[in-house]
Amino acid sequence: MLARRSLARIATQPSPLGAAPKNARNMATLREIELRLKSVKNIEKITKSMKMIASTKLAKAQRAMQSGKQYGLANSEIFQHTPLETPAKRKLFIVVSSDKGLCGGIHSSVSKATRRAIANTEKPVDSDSPIMVIGDKSKVQLSRVLAKNLAMSFNQIGRDIPTFADAAGVADLIVKSDVKYDGISIVYNKFVSAVAYEPEIVEVVGENALKESAGFRAYEMEDDVTKDLAEFSLANAIYAALVEAHACEQSARRNAMDNASKNAKDMIDRLTMQYNRGRQAAITNELVDIITGASAL
Amino acid sequence: MSALRLLSSAARRAPSALAQQRRGYAEVADKISLSLVLPHQAIFTSTDVVQVNLAAATGDMGILANHVPSIEALRPGLIEVVESGNASKKWFASGGFATVHPGNKLTINVVEAAPLESFSSEAVRANLQEALKVAAGNGSEEDKMEARIEADVYEALQHALGSK
Repeated sequence: MLARRSLARIATQPSPLGAAPKNARNMATLREIELRLKSVKNIEKITKSMKMIASTKLAKAQRAMQSGKQYGLANSEIFQHTPLETPAKRKLFIVVSSDKGLCGGIHSSVSKATRRAIANTEKPVDSDSPIMVIGDKSKVQLSRVLAKNLAMSFNQIGRDIPTFADAAGVADLIVKSDVKYDGISIVYNKFVSAVAYEPEIVEVVGENALKESAGFRAYEMEDDVTKDLAEFSLANAIYAALVEAHACEQSARRNAMDNASKNAKDMIDRLTMQYNRGRQAAITNELVDIITGASAL
Repeated sequence: MSALRLLSSAARRAPSALAQQRRGYAEVADKISLSLVLPHQAIFTSTDVVQVNLAAATGDMGILANHVPSIEALRPGLIEVVESGNASKKWFASGGFATVHPGNKLTINVVEAAPLESFSSEAVRANLQEALKVAAGNGSEEDKMEARIEADVYEALQHALGSK
């Protein structure tokens, strides 16, 4: 009992620092809410403009993708007629992503697809299959798990609509490098719709595998152009993948920025409500003080 | 680029038997399915055509329906497509590959092509002079090689425009 009374006495004693002004806590909170509100409004403007930019880029990218897809289809016709009897063991994985972020799950989807393909038990590939990455984002993700497989990486591709020159440059560097492989798998995002994409792997048959394939012998060639054909088809396949991946990235960025803008708008509504309630509470408290002060006279 | 490198192995031999023939009699029943595609534009996608004349690295050739499967590298030159009857359209292509697949399909992947009418002979002549100057000049071996390839393309263009 004595303890309880002494506790109560301590509680009612004024704090040694002196009483803070009655409205200080409310004002500090109000100021904080105001700052938050301003910054969220800025963020909403930024994400809205990013969404607009991504929408216009998406329209252009989709048009380029239509022709790019036809180009890739015509190019891959020969691979359908020259299947391999024994599936390739040592695959070169070319992972197509980009350097920029804020585009949803684009980069992690190709990185995960690559990891799944390497760990695949149904169609086993060598665990030290080389990987070449286009784009810094996926490079970072893959270097955390499959660092020893990374052979080469490319960046500064994908800032604008990819051109055949980009793809040819990549193919040229791949061919000139000393990396050994039986077959090539290009991992990229396939454009399903403006709101959906999924990772896809496209097989490109290398020069040696073409020569060994039975279907290839059905084709007549006056001069042996197999090496040139293999290099050209690789550049074509990379081009088709780059263009489609670019379109997927723009659509994913548009959706991500759209969601971000919606969330920012919700936050603004909530914060505004909070701010107004706090402001009105402060006014009410002041009024109460004045009135009690006046009635005490 | 690999497409341009193909040109340096060009050997212009005598045209093969089917070159530049045009059927003058009744409407042809058999057509071949053509896909002529550029990276930025698909000119034909699985369209049935009567005949396609190509400038292959091994000589000019014409492809008709049910051609034997073959792979041809293309040198910079004309691609002429006869869709039906006597009407034919010509494009000048920079180079690529033409493949006849089993199943009566022809796919042509070229890096760049444009209708023959859209080229101006003055521009071709001026650029050819430029390229020859660089090729004979004293730049690096790579630059001279590229200029030599450029000059070859312009010469082929001139030839194509001249024989319109």
